[in-house]
Amino acid sequence: MKNRDLSDTENPMINPEHPLSSVWFTSRWFLLIALLIWLSVIVTNGMVDSWGRLANGGENLMIFIDESLWPPDWSVIEPQAYPVCTEPGWLDFTCSTAWIGVVETLKIAFVATIFGMIISLPLSLFAARNLNPWWLSYPSRFILAASRSLPSIIWAIFFVILVGLGPLAGILAMTVYTIGYLGKLQYEAIEGVSRPPLDASNAMGHGWLERSFGVIIPESANGLISQAIFMFEYNFRHGTVIGIVGAGGIGYYINLYLKFLQYDKVIAYLVLIFIVVLLLDLLSIAARSFFTEEGDVTRPPSPWWGIILPSAMIDLLKPK
Amino acid sequence: MDSQFVVEIRDASIGYSMKEPLLTSINLQFSKGEIVAIAGPSGIGKTTLLRTIAGLVPPLQGSFSINGKKAASRGELGYIPQRLGLVRHASVYHNVLLGALAGHTSPWFPFSVKAKQLTLEAISSVGLDDKIRTPIRRLSGGQQRRVATARTLAQRPSLILADEFLGELDEETMTLVLEKVTNYVRESNSTLIVVEHDISRAKQMADRLLIMDDGRLNPFVSSPITVEVKK
Repeated sequence: MKNRDLSDTENPMINPEHPLSSVWFTSRWFLLIALLIWLSVIVTNGMVDSWGRLANGGENLMIFIDESLWPPDWSVIEPQAYPVCTEPGWLDFTCSTAWIGVVETLKIAFVATIFGMIISLPLSLFAARNLNPWWLSYPSRFILAASRSLPSIIWAIFFVILVGLGPLAGILAMTVYTIGYLGKLQYEAIEGVSRPPLDASNAMGHGWLERSFGVIIPESANGLISQAIFMFEYNFRHGTVIGIVGAGGIGYYINLYLKFLQYDKVIAYLVLIFIVVLLLDLLSIAARSFFTEEGDVTRPPSPWWGIILPSAMIDLLKPK
Repeated sequence: MDSQFVVEIRDASIGYSMKEPLLTSINLQFSKGEIVAIAGPSGIGKTTLLRTIAGLVPPLQGSFSINGKKAASRGELGYIPQRLGLVRHASVYHNVLLGALAGHTSPWFPFSVKAKQLTLEAISSVGLDDKIRTPIRRLSGGQQRRVATARTLAQRPSLILADEFLGELDEETMTLVLEKVTNYVRESNSTLIVVEHDISRAKQMADRLLIMDDGRLNPFVSSPITVEVKK
């Protein structure tokens, strides 16, 4: 340990005036990032047998797009041959697999979010350390952690085995995942509630229920509602995946056409999902603006295309 | 334990660590109907003393009693923290109702006519009738202090602990808030212990003034605490 023998002025770790210390201080972030990149390359190198594979990636992608993906096959928004569509002509798209799949996924996501929130809210109130002793909060956290430890697709496989194919398995799978995921967000929001209202409530002698429903929930309501809206959007995106294992929704059709290698139809579904996610994002921004602090402030509305760009770019591109 | 004092502190040490207690050997008594102001430089432990009386911080040593008991019963103690402790996203009505609620035990009380009446009376007494449904975050600092006062008035406690509750109020609001609280204390023969950094204001409002000096607070020994008895 040579450094220990150095006097304070000679030790670059102690003396900020030392030239080595100043080099380290000014370049510490650069060195740290360089170190992380170097570590990542070393780790990847151990797993990849030939880096030459990367060279073919671009070419393969172009062939795949040219031969299989493009153009999308928009027959997915045409009515199915069977059952026969009874809707008037201008509504016949509602008999298409795309419409049926999207609506079913939205329904699954909506119901799962509501059920998930109803169950996760009391659990997160029990899990919050600022409200409860450890013997109540840790078991609640364990339940929440257990239900989010598996991704929703694994829960979907589990529930397909339990209740059979269809949207019910999807709803149950997403509900269980929502409980874990939303519950964690909720108890973190609850633990973030400022101390003075809780102190005042404790000093006044309120009971657990009064403190939870009178202080904690109103104080964190904006965050809780905003998280629930986010969860709905998240559940829709994941709802497209759980259909692959037969738990209902648009994923069922995506999986069907993947099996038949009809990638042009798959890309059409993916474009539709992208559009619905953008629309949901718009709705979500509008809905959440009512429940956040900023909702009180009158701001010029962002343009609709603002959802796909970073805020700094929106300001640059927005007409003055 | 006899309960001639509303608050009785015996040989207590307070703070957050036994190694570095903020105040040691405290012996204090507060009587019914008394308004006591505690003043002293910042960081000396005034707020911690108040929080310990409120039961929010356990004493490191010694005993604290409220009306002869180890801890205050439900609704017995009203507390106005330095940052007021209001539920920012809830309305004025909701916040004042929380005070009224603490004074009662029935689970149906929040929905009763009496609760509504108590709450509205308290809001009215601080002149916020036109803000009943307004969320706290939309009120000015002075209005928020009036809400915190109304919450305590609706609770009707026998002991009020207020931490710098007059803050930087304008003269008019300060007079109103102070008048409401002192009137309540006099009428109900309850006790008000208030931490106040402004000594002249503390002298003006209090029957007894405790000045904390170098970390020891004891009105029954001469030094280092100065005790001024007004009247």
